[in-house]
Amino acid sequence: MRHAACGCLLLAAAIGIARAQDADDAALRLADQTAEAADPGKPERRLSVEAAGAWAAPRGGGQREQGQRLSLDLAWERALAPGWRFSLADRLDLLGPDRLPGERSSVNTLKELFLTGRLGRERIVDIGRVNLRLGVAMGYNPTDYFRELAVRQVVSVDPASLRENRQGTVMLRGQQLWQGGSASLLYSPKLGSGPNPGKHAIDVGATNHRHRWLLSLSQTLATDLQPQLLLYEPGEPHSSLQLGLNLTHLLSPACVAHAEWSGGRGPDLLARSHGQPGEGDAFHSQLAAGLTCTTARKLSLTAEYERNGAALDDAGWRALRRGPLAAELAYRQVAAERQDPPTRHNLFLRAAWQDALWPRLDLSAMLRANAADDSRQLWAEARYRLDSTDLALQWQGHHGSQRSEFGALPQRQLWQLLVKHWF
Amino acid sequence: MAELSCSRIRRLVVCTLLCAGAVAASAAAPAATDAQALLAASDAIRNPGQPFSLAVSLTEYRAGKQTDANSLQVYSRADPQGGQFRTLVRFVAPARDLDKLMLKSGNELWFYDPASRASVRISPQQRLLGQAANGDVVTVNFAQAYRARLEQQEEVQDGDRQLRQCDRLALEAATPDVTYHSVQMWLDHANQRPVKARFFSESGRLLKTAFYRRYREELGVQRPTEIVIIDGLDPSLVTVMRYGEFVAREVPESWLQRDYLPRFRPE
Repeated sequence: MRHAACGCLLLAAAIGIARAQDADDAALRLADQTAEAADPGKPERRLSVEAAGAWAAPRGGGQREQGQRLSLDLAWERALAPGWRFSLADRLDLLGPDRLPGERSSVNTLKELFLTGRLGRERIVDIGRVNLRLGVAMGYNPTDYFRELAVRQVVSVDPASLRENRQGTVMLRGQQLWQGGSASLLYSPKLGSGPNPGKHAIDVGATNHRHRWLLSLSQTLATDLQPQLLLYEPGEPHSSLQLGLNLTHLLSPACVAHAEWSGGRGPDLLARSHGQPGEGDAFHSQLAAGLTCTTARKLSLTAEYERNGAALDDAGWRALRRGPLAAELAYRQVAAERQDPPTRHNLFLRAAWQDALWPRLDLSAMLRANAADDSRQLWAEARYRLDSTDLALQWQGHHGSQRSEFGALPQRQLWQLLVKHWF
Repeated sequence: MAELSCSRIRRLVVCTLLCAGAVAASAAAPAATDAQALLAASDAIRNPGQPFSLAVSLTEYRAGKQTDANSLQVYSRADPQGGQFRTLVRFVAPARDLDKLMLKSGNELWFYDPASRASVRISPQQRLLGQAANGDVVTVNFAQAYRARLEQQEEVQDGDRQLRQCDRLALEAATPDVTYHSVQMWLDHANQRPVKARFFSESGRLLKTAFYRRYREELGVQRPTEIVIIDGLDPSLVTVMRYGEFVAREVPESWLQRDYLPRFRPE
C-alpha cells in the first residue's frame, strides 16, 4: 500500500515536471521565432493626432448636445550646439462643426518653448516658456504654483490631462544637482496683465501676469526620505512667501503614501472673487495626502484627502449658494482659474486597471466628492491600446443638488469617444 | 485519460527517473561552500562592472500569439554604498511611450511622463511593462540582494534544449527591496554562466521561470543577450527580453534622482 502511494506520488511529480518541460519547450520555440525588434532610431519629436466626438445630456433635460474635436499635439527637441537644446511643445484643438456650449472653434496652446543650456555636468539653465510641474499628489496639487490660468482648453477632467494640456510659464531657471539632492531657482517676470481670449494667442498674460520667483530644494535625508522644500513668492499684494513641502514614502511593496502641503499668508478665494484681496488676508494652508496601492493584477487604487484652507467652510459655502448667483459664479470662476477646490474638505478616489479584462485594455475611474454639499463628479474611461493608436470611451457624470459644486454644472452626463494616433 | 504520444511517454519515464534521482540527491546535498562566490561570478557575467547602457527589447506572447512589444534603453550604475545597481529606464517604443522614464533606486521607483512633465512615485508592485515586472528589466546584483546556498549539481535542460551540467543554487532574499522573495538558479558548472532560474513568492508560489540564452561578447565578456521569461501561474504568458548595444558610459550619481528626470536626454 505504502509502495503504491509512493509510486503514485512519483508519477504525479513526473507528470508535473513533464508539463513544465512542455511549457518551457513551447516558450523557447516562441523565442526562437521572435524577430529582431525594428530599430526605433533616435526620434526628436513626439507627434499625435486625436479625433473625438462628444455627446452631452444637459441638466434638466433638453436636447442632447454634441461636439467634435480634432487635436494635434507636437513635442520637438533639437540640439543647437554642444550643451544647448531647443524645446517646443504645442497643441492645437480644432472644434466643430458641432460644438458644446462655451467652446470656441479652435484653441492653440503653446505649452513650451525654451532653451536649455548645460553649464557643466550638474548645472543647468532654462530660458523661455516651461511647463513646470510640481507636486506629488494625484488629484490636487497645492505646490503646483504655476497652474493658475494654465489650461486654455479642457479636453478631459482627468487630472493627468489637465496637467498635460496646459501652457507653461515664461521663466529663467537655474538648477544645481549633486548626489542625492538638487536646488533650483527660477524667476518668472510679468509680461502681461491677464489672459488673452484670442484663439491662437501665446497668452503670456495668463501665465506671466505677476513677477514671481520660486526656490526648490530636495535632499535625501535617509533611505526612502527625500523631501522637496519650496519657497514661492507669488508677487501679489497681501500675499507673503508661501512654503511648500512634497513627500512620498513606501508603506509596503504595494503601497506608496504621498503628502503635499503649501502654506502662507494671502487672500482667501472669497476675497479674490470680490476683487478685494485685502479682505481675506490671513494664513492659509492647502493639503493633499493619500496613498496608492496596487494589486498583483495591476489594479491601482488611490485615495486622497484634499483640504483647501483658503476656500469657504461648510457654512460659508451654504451662505454663498443661498445668495446672489453672480457672486457664486464669480467665486466658482476664481476657484476654477486657480485649479483649487471651492470648499474646504474634499475626497479624491481613483482606480486604474492595466490590461483589465484582456491584454491592452485599460480601465480607469475617478471620483471627486465635495464634503460640504455632498455633490460628486464621476469619470470613467475604457482605453484599448493598439500598436500606435488608442481607442477610448470616456463617461463623465455630475451628481448633486442645485447650486452644489458639481450639481450646478450644465451637463448631467458627458460621453466622449476618442481615437488617438501617434506618429 | 487522454492518449499520450510516444515522446511524451519517454519524457515521463525520464522525468520519473530524474525525480527519483532528485529525491535521492537531495538527501545528500553538498554544503554551502562557495555558493556566494559562484553567484557573484554569474553576476559579473550578466552585468558589466562599470556604469553602462544597453538596449532592451521586450516581446510578449499569450497563448502563442504576440500581444505586445516594447523597446527600452537602460542606464545602470552600481551604488557605491550597497553595490546594488541603480537604473534609469528610457522608453523608446511604442511611440506613445517615447521618452517616458522609470528610475529605480532600491525600493524607490519614479515614473516620469515627458508630456505632463510629471514625476510619479510608484510602488515596486506597480508595473509599467505589461507582463514584465519593473524588477525584470533593471540590472540586478543577485549576490548583493540574496544569500546563496549550493543545493546540488545536476543536469538541466538549457535554453537551447541541451542538457548542461549545472550548480543549483537556492537564493533567499537578504534585503527587503527585491522583486522576488526566493530564487532557484542553475549556473553552468564549467563557467558560472546563468542557465536557468525560477523565481518564487514569499508563499513559495512559482512566479516565473527564466532561461538565459544567446551568449555574445559584450564589453569584453560573453554575456546572455536573451532571457525567456515564462509566467509561473500561466505558462502561456511568455516574455522574450533581448539585450544589445552594451556601451560603457558615465552615469553620474547626481542623475539618479527624481529632480533630474525632466533633464534626462539619451545622449
